[in-house]
Amino acid sequence: MTVIRPGDEYLAQPFWTHLANGTLHLSTCEDCNKAHHPPSPICPHCRSFNIGWKPASGKATLNTYAVARHAVHPLLADQVPYTITLVDLEEGVRLVSGIPNGMEVDLEIGMPLECKVVKIDDQLSLPYFLPAGAADQDQ
Amino acid sequence: MKTSIVGLGQTEFSKNSGRSELRLATEAILAAMADAGLEVNDIDGLVRYTWDNTTEAAIVNALGLPSLKYYGETEFGGVNCCGAVAQASAAIEAGLASCIVFYRTLNARSGVRYGRGERILSEEDGRLINRQPEPPGDIYSAPFGLLVPGQHHALYAQSYKGQYGLSDDQFTDMLGSVAVTQRAYANNNPNALLRDKPLSMDDYRAGRVITEPLRIYDYCLETDGAMAMVIVSRERARSMGVKAVDVLSAGQYIYPGSVPMFLYAPVTHTLAPPEAGEDLFGKAGLKPSDIDVAGIYDATSMMVPLALEDFGFIGRGEAHQFLTSGGNGPTGALPVNTHGGLLSEGYFHGLNTIAEMVRQLRGESPNQVDAETAFITLRGASSMILGRA
Repeated sequence: MTVIRPGDEYLAQPFWTHLANGTLHLSTCEDCNKAHHPPSPICPHCRSFNIGWKPASGKATLNTYAVARHAVHPLLADQVPYTITLVDLEEGVRLVSGIPNGMEVDLEIGMPLECKVVKIDDQLSLPYFLPAGAADQDQ
Repeated sequence: MKTSIVGLGQTEFSKNSGRSELRLATEAILAAMADAGLEVNDIDGLVRYTWDNTTEAAIVNALGLPSLKYYGETEFGGVNCCGAVAQASAAIEAGLASCIVFYRTLNARSGVRYGRGERILSEEDGRLINRQPEPPGDIYSAPFGLLVPGQHHALYAQSYKGQYGLSDDQFTDMLGSVAVTQRAYANNNPNALLRDKPLSMDDYRAGRVITEPLRIYDYCLETDGAMAMVIVSRERARSMGVKAVDVLSAGQYIYPGSVPMFLYAPVTHTLAPPEAGEDLFGKAGLKPSDIDVAGIYDATSMMVPLALEDFGFIGRGEAHQFLTSGGNGPTGALPVNTHGGLLSEGYFHGLNTIAEMVRQLRGESPNQVDAETAFITLRGASSMILGRA
């Protein structure tokens, strides 16, 4: 199965290195304590440049989802159908996520989700968000 | 705004133009200037999208224009179809130029396709690598397979469906009413790519699902071609003896997370806040019920119900009722995309949406309605109100 990976220059950045170490961290303002995503050099809430990284609780709700049935690249032909999600984290940020291929879950907008960091290889891990209970399923 | 659109030009729409984008651009610009009854050398300004492979310099050199006094670019592609007109109008009102051409040229079917992942993915050692900093298909979404605009639209569609609790059948009927109605318009439009292909509601329902909940007929057509339009001051337009259409109000509107793909917008079942419409209508001195015909940028059919609600043509959650009862049809309360739209005429990054509204106000549409005012929007990010001169 072909994984789509950010270029190595991106995987060296904290968002991805924290994930490779097994945890989802969010770019967070050290002054007002609010998180933002995607990572930014300046806090969009208080405009401080004092930005750090804090672990996310992993709790989120499902904002919306879509199921890709048409492969938009030949190397993705063996992956469809797959589910893409938008998730709203407890910390007040939105992430793009999905459901790992092969996992069967029933989705409903507004349902609670939990983060599960799935290791792809030593450099790349992805933050999936799953319904409570499903996060413990073996893949 | 105190400007007018005085000329339209275009090449044919096709799946394979067989010519370069520069060649297409110059054909469209010559046609637009001829339509306006102006000399090509009268062009002293150009506006274009940043997502265009030609440059102002290339156009000046190719056409041998004596000089440009103003040229401007608006970010992205179709997001700014009305923003480009606003920019040209502002430049004219500021005296920077007097005759500005807004053009778009692209081989979007035979060349680089916006609906394909290849645009933002490279193959390296059998792996797919993404280095795209911003949506669509950026580093934070591509690993989950969110790659192309049409998949983003499916996310808004599901969000809307969930927000208003529409059943699968109700949702299908709502979007099918957009696709089928617009195809009927296209069947009567000699320029439309799908003029010879009728579409019934049964055909629509049987359509292949591309990204659930959207079917193949909910998606626009990747198209080759070029379009251009000529913008001058209203005062000059009145002295030209051509069928001018006045720009009553035009502008851009973005908010955190909204552009380019609304991934991080606070809500995803509505795309433009009320203020966007209030500002636009306020400047034109009109209200939604004053509008006679609408051009809604329909990269997917889902953009139509969202825009109708976002700009107050109907109430929140009323799109199913409005569309399934023919409100967007030729005898409906607000005919929408009477050329067939991006779904059935061709995907021309909004220039063909503007062109059809201009034709309606000139009385030259293949699906003519009684119209003195027209509204155009792309997801609220740029919008415009036009009036018959």
